[in-house]
Amino acid sequence: MTLVRGPVHPSLGGGGIRRLLIANRGEIAVRIIRACRELAIETVAVYSDADAEAPHVRAADRSVHLGAAPARDSYLDAAKVIAAARDSGADAIHPGYGFLSERAHFAKACEDAGLVFVGPPAAALERMGSKIGARRLMVAAGVPVVPGETPADQSDASLEAAIARVGFPALIKPSAGGGGIGMKIVGSAADAVDALAAARREAQASFGDSTLYVERLIERPRHVEIQVFADAHGNVVHLFERECSAQRRHQKVVEESPCPALSPAVRQAMGQAAIAAATAVGYRNAGTCEFLLEGQGDTARFYFLEMNTRLQVEHPVTECVVGVDLVRAQLTVAGGEPLPFTQDSLTQRGHAIECRVYAEDPALCFIPQAGPILLYREPQGPGIRVDSGVAAGSVVSVHYDPMLAKLIVWGESREVARRKTLAALREFAVLGIHTNIPFLMQLLEHPQFVAATIDTGFLDREGAALAAASVSELPGPALAALAEHRRTLATGTNPLGTPGTVRTQGTDPFLTLGNWRG
Amino acid sequence: MADPLVTALGGGWYVVDDGDRRWRVAVAGHGDTQWVFVNGQVATVTAAKAGRRRGNSSEAGVMSPMPATVVAIHVTPGQVVTEGDTLIVLEAMKMELPIRAPRDGVVKTVACAKGELVQPGVNLLEFE
Repeated sequence: MTLVRGPVHPSLGGGGIRRLLIANRGEIAVRIIRACRELAIETVAVYSDADAEAPHVRAADRSVHLGAAPARDSYLDAAKVIAAARDSGADAIHPGYGFLSERAHFAKACEDAGLVFVGPPAAALERMGSKIGARRLMVAAGVPVVPGETPADQSDASLEAAIARVGFPALIKPSAGGGGIGMKIVGSAADAVDALAAARREAQASFGDSTLYVERLIERPRHVEIQVFADAHGNVVHLFERECSAQRRHQKVVEESPCPALSPAVRQAMGQAAIAAATAVGYRNAGTCEFLLEGQGDTARFYFLEMNTRLQVEHPVTECVVGVDLVRAQLTVAGGEPLPFTQDSLTQRGHAIECRVYAEDPALCFIPQAGPILLYREPQGPGIRVDSGVAAGSVVSVHYDPMLAKLIVWGESREVARRKTLAALREFAVLGIHTNIPFLMQLLEHPQFVAATIDTGFLDREGAALAAASVSELPGPALAALAEHRRTLATGTNPLGTPGTVRTQGTDPFLTLGNWRG
Repeated sequence: MADPLVTALGGGWYVVDDGDRRWRVAVAGHGDTQWVFVNGQVATVTAAKAGRRRGNSSEAGVMSPMPATVVAIHVTPGQVVTEGDTLIVLEAMKMELPIRAPRDGVVKTVACAKGELVQPGVNLLEFE
């Protein structure tokens, strides 16, 4: 007897993908595996020596060992990842974010190996990968960029004219330079002559080339980005904005949507600009256009920074506010089907905030923490989502990004979401390594966060003070629990498994308190 | 204020009723350093004599898990004891802390005296 079987799940939305290899680790790998399960797509995890027991490996249907713990020997080794896909019978690869996700050569290698790359075409990755090339393309597509130019005529008069064109305050910097050397701020036309002379001298001394580049200085900008999505059927939509100005050393810490500084008109204009940018590079799948936002309300101006040609860490705030599943949509589109939503069907509802939980010690200059997680409990409740790649017993490795989890909270309004996030952070227990949770609590209670006036420089200016404020007193009741814990340890009863009640004294003069953070 | 009432929930979680309100506290760690969590705050708490191993009882003898005062000694050298017998009672944090025999055996020496303040990691008693 011949058994002929059609597709088991004909309309789930996974397109032609049947088995997907996730070329990543941690929370994003777990997140992608979850979406695959909904679409009845089989999953293949990859792992390094350090991750053999990791949650993403346990969650997948199959797993393939890549190599040693350092990323270059495992998650960054394109040849090993493609071999793993071939050996495990996968027909598609999702790169997640980081690692190989924005490497055009990897996307190309997938295409060459007959594997579906869940992301943009290699050509779009290439076009957006070059900052200068991308800027030129954006200008041609009518997308606003930070005004700037390198005048061919480098005379004072020509440069002063260029400064007047880009507008004040202006920034002049060596064309050949980098790292802030020779950068001068020009506040008004009167400052220009002296600044030009100084910048030329420093440029010549440092780079042997006195050619100067002139651009508008955007003071106290916000980082606002637009989620875009394109399919292979000519549809390109945007899914509104994410506000990501809370950054520490260019590392995003808290993201939210909507951006409180955007008026409907500016939001609409940014959305259209992002669609134009995606269209200009022949984009497909999920991407993000990053902009600097200057000012607020209807008079705010925005400038294209760069396009992130992948899924973003902070994609869940968009999912919460717009009510979509971006990872599922990625698989649908990569599988050749049309986008599961149209522009007209997309609206923003309520407010979402994401906090990145990092294994770092705010009390010690944010030093990354490594070691075993002894106890781990995520907050729960309506509107509370945690995407995580760790569990109790996980060992946080020095080899990878220190982000352990993301707490994403939705509320009817920004203030509701903010309060709900604080309550959730208070219930997020991670013991064994220090995390930035006490710091996040301080940040969310800062008057400037409450008032939504944070710019991209805020955490670099205020971060140390916030970290210092996150150290507080150990409450007596915590000591009483500690004493009981120690008593059960001392008497040989298992402190992890013995419910019971004891009356004890809550103060402990014999203990030395170290590093109490609140 | 009354002494707090501590209820162990298992898994390292405790509810502490301080007579006014309840606190949910998590504790983890077995060695010199313990981690305590309450309301989003985390502390590491280290035994006073850092660097000395906080003793739990071993094959060779028993130790105090923390600085404590010896309030009673229930055994004498040569005595045969059974696993679980109370050998010594310590007091710390106004709380009695019985030190029990980790195994069946014969007491060789008692290395502490009633009323003595003992430190963690120091043998209180040796087995033969």
